[in-house]
Amino acid sequence: MNSARLKPLVHRPSVVIAGLTVIAILAFVSVGRLASRFREQQKALARRLYARGLDEQRSGHSDLAIEDFRTALGYNRDEFQYQLSLARALRDTGRTDEAEAYLVSLWERAPQDGAVNLALGRLAAREGTIDKAIQYYHNAIYGVWGPNQDANRRNARFELIDFLLGKGARPQAEAELITLAAELPPDPALELRAAQLLIRAQDYERALKQYQKILQREPSSTVALAGAGEAAFRLGRYRAACAYLRTAAASNPQDAQTQQLLETCNLILQADPSRRGLSNAERRRRLRAAFDQAGQRLASCASSQAARAADPSVGAALASLKSDWMRLKPRVEASATTVRADTADTAMDLVFQIEQQTQQQCGPPAGLDQALLLLSQVRGGVDR
Amino acid sequence: MTLSNSPHASAPPPASSPEPVTREASGNKRSAWSMAQEERFFLILAVFIGLFSGLAVVCFRLAIEWSKIGLLGPRLEPHNWRLLAAPTLVGLLISVLVIYIFPQVRGSGVNQTKAALYIYNGYIPFRTAIGKFICAALAIGSGQSLGPEDPSLQIGASLASALGRRLELSREKLRLLAPVGAAAGLAAAFNAPISAVLFVIEEVIGRWSAGILGSVVLSAVSSVVVVRWFLGSEPLFRIPAVALVRPAELVAYVVLGIVGGFAAVIFAKSIGYFRPRLRALPRWTQYLQPALAGFLIGLIGFFGAPQIMGAGYEYMDQAMHDQFTWKILALLAGLKIIATTLSFVSGTPGGMFAPTLFVGAMLGGAVGGVEHILSPHLTGSTGTYALVGMGVLFAGFLRAPMTSVFMVLEVSGNYSIIVPVILANTFAYVISRSLQPTPIFDLLTRQDGMDLPSMEEQREESILRVEDAMQAVTSPVLNAEEPVEQALHRVQSLDADLFLVRMSPSGWSSVSRDLLKRLASEGKGELSLGSALPTGRLPYLHPDLPLEVALRHVYQSPLVPVVSRADFRHLEGVISRDAVLNKYRVVSRERRD
Repeated sequence: MNSARLKPLVHRPSVVIAGLTVIAILAFVSVGRLASRFREQQKALARRLYARGLDEQRSGHSDLAIEDFRTALGYNRDEFQYQLSLARALRDTGRTDEAEAYLVSLWERAPQDGAVNLALGRLAAREGTIDKAIQYYHNAIYGVWGPNQDANRRNARFELIDFLLGKGARPQAEAELITLAAELPPDPALELRAAQLLIRAQDYERALKQYQKILQREPSSTVALAGAGEAAFRLGRYRAACAYLRTAAASNPQDAQTQQLLETCNLILQADPSRRGLSNAERRRRLRAAFDQAGQRLASCASSQAARAADPSVGAALASLKSDWMRLKPRVEASATTVRADTADTAMDLVFQIEQQTQQQCGPPAGLDQALLLLSQVRGGVDR
Repeated sequence: MTLSNSPHASAPPPASSPEPVTREASGNKRSAWSMAQEERFFLILAVFIGLFSGLAVVCFRLAIEWSKIGLLGPRLEPHNWRLLAAPTLVGLLISVLVIYIFPQVRGSGVNQTKAALYIYNGYIPFRTAIGKFICAALAIGSGQSLGPEDPSLQIGASLASALGRRLELSREKLRLLAPVGAAAGLAAAFNAPISAVLFVIEEVIGRWSAGILGSVVLSAVSSVVVVRWFLGSEPLFRIPAVALVRPAELVAYVVLGIVGGFAAVIFAKSIGYFRPRLRALPRWTQYLQPALAGFLIGLIGFFGAPQIMGAGYEYMDQAMHDQFTWKILALLAGLKIIATTLSFVSGTPGGMFAPTLFVGAMLGGAVGGVEHILSPHLTGSTGTYALVGMGVLFAGFLRAPMTSVFMVLEVSGNYSIIVPVILANTFAYVISRSLQPTPIFDLLTRQDGMDLPSMEEQREESILRVEDAMQAVTSPVLNAEEPVEQALHRVQSLDADLFLVRMSPSGWSSVSRDLLKRLASEGKGELSLGSALPTGRLPYLHPDLPLEVALRHVYQSPLVPVVSRADFRHLEGVISRDAVLNKYRVVSRERRD
């Protein structure tokens, strides 16, 4: 052995550093392989558990699915989809705080991801935080999606509108609806969905146009007919509404809402004394029927108010209408064949006043009273 | 206490040590290899220690996961027979390994590392690292209620020690390598370098020293880089949104600190009570103790609480996200204390960090849950209380107050939680210290028949300073410009024999009456004192210096000037050997009384 070899290693730093570097590289490679094998094994295990979780979720066992997703995530913490599925399952089972923690951590990783933003939007919507929900929904609408980007963005906007309407934010919902309608592809299902939202947003004019657009392509679409009928009805276009509703009810007699609207619509058409083409006798009959109906409504409302000992001013208003009604009654009943035009106008004005006043005091009317009340809102009559 | 001043520091390696600690020759060759070069080399070595410790901890964590999946299956579910069989059978295997092959791997590893530092000159057998690796991985993987952090610390220290010995480092450096490796191992296990560095300084080394701090930090950082490289940079837990909205809510955290303090005492006292009693049982029972502990823990898991098995990080994460009701959280905290006590006192190798954090998280969540019921306006989520609870138990049980605060901050990455953490931890620490004066690590070392320095006692030890023994200046101070004859005339009527001389432009000297007389008789009476006196200067001290420093100087000169730090020519007082010794005598008498 020579003297250089006897020299302690510590006195040969370059040799030591070189040696340690080589050992470190070798150790890195070995541990890297080991870690890689470990990761693969963990990923395979995670995939198995994730698939099981999806099955459990599909079969309605969300709690078991959560456990599987959670365990899968424990084995593969970086997997975006596992975390998203877990967050969704947690949200669906009402564990919103935990779901939010997962989603926020996903959002921090990918703030542009449409699915994450949509999930956060839904969560915020569930919690009722409007501003946050709108922000996340907008992120989702303009975010990045994988395949079916347009459809996903559109669905996000549909959900946002639905949420806004649910929260009574009509102006914002209308603004979103206008954008949505402009971007809609020619797909009747989507157009129908948009039209239904327009009805909910009380934008009946646009809704009617949307339904008419659908009917041009699919004239027998019962849903579109019913929707168009409702939109026309809300706009006070009762003749058109009745036509749509009649066709819709004929194709789908089970649709109770359409049937009810049709009945009201028919009542309106049958009750309107100012409708064109009526004989004098029919016009007089309708006027008398309306006048009598209003008198009965006024009497029943006044007696219910008296029984409840309501505000004296209300009683006075009803009494004044009663006195007007009593004063006009002889003139309405005087002629056996015709009614003077000015008497008819005065009588119908009083009928409308009574229906509006009693609606305020005694709640919404039904049957002929409802028809008269709706007529009062389109003073020109159904032929306007 | 400093490392070099330790009474154990220079003790020879134990007779049973299978390898020589160092070559004495290395100390003699220091002239050939400068100190500066050695320091630089030591820093580079710290990086390598960090890398190797990180790699070892990566393998350790993989081993734990593999053994867990192999022994308990991929999912912990109650009523699974493996929950009973795995910890029992593995317990039997571990007891054989510990008794016959790896006798030094019992316990957590923190005390063994401290013992290496203070008793064995940094010597930790490499076999210990291997034994700790195998036994702890099997124990934790089979569901014993223990954690991987303390074993990682010991594995890191052991690797560092082996490397130091292979490189034939000096004894001093070899002693420093153990904490460097310990910090690397702990940092890698926790994925938190700051907490690891603080823990090693707070609990193992016990002092802040620039020399070792750099190495400890370098090794901790490099080990964390390695772990993140291979296992990803995800934190151990997903941290809930944390915010302290109203300062009044701090009261709720105080309550948590108080409850945590008591829980920490119960935890420490159970271990302190049962451990020596189980070790005193006949030797044959040692074979059965880990298995019996494993069986009992398995029973808890089998009958509905598998969460308490193993380290339990995934369940801490769930506790932080309101996954459990407060009743379940409280139950899990209680069961975890029982399970960890069983595992630890049975001599199964494994750490206490993870169980401590688990108990803290569950207890914090439970206290937070109850407080939310009693006071629904509290804004802090249950998860926030779980997070603070982890720090509380760390402060109360492991008695590392600084680390406990920084650990929560580092794990949460949220500094807005600092006030609740400090407050709650302080209460827990104070309660724990009052009811359990001896910290758990010190208790364990004393049960093992060792007397390692207690870091807590050192932290709280009052330091004697120069000002405590300093005396007022009664004799006149002579000036260097003063002629010898005049000085002799000034001191002639005084009793004192020795006088301080203020030299010009700075410095101090002293002159005795006899010397003044001799100078005058030699015809130097007209000369100034500055030119007549020998050129050597007196050392001087400042009032705030430790009295130990004075001790080094009072033997060189019977009278040492104590001067102001702002003006070295301004004399604050004087200190003499008698005054220093007298002060020490008084203090030791007071302590005895």
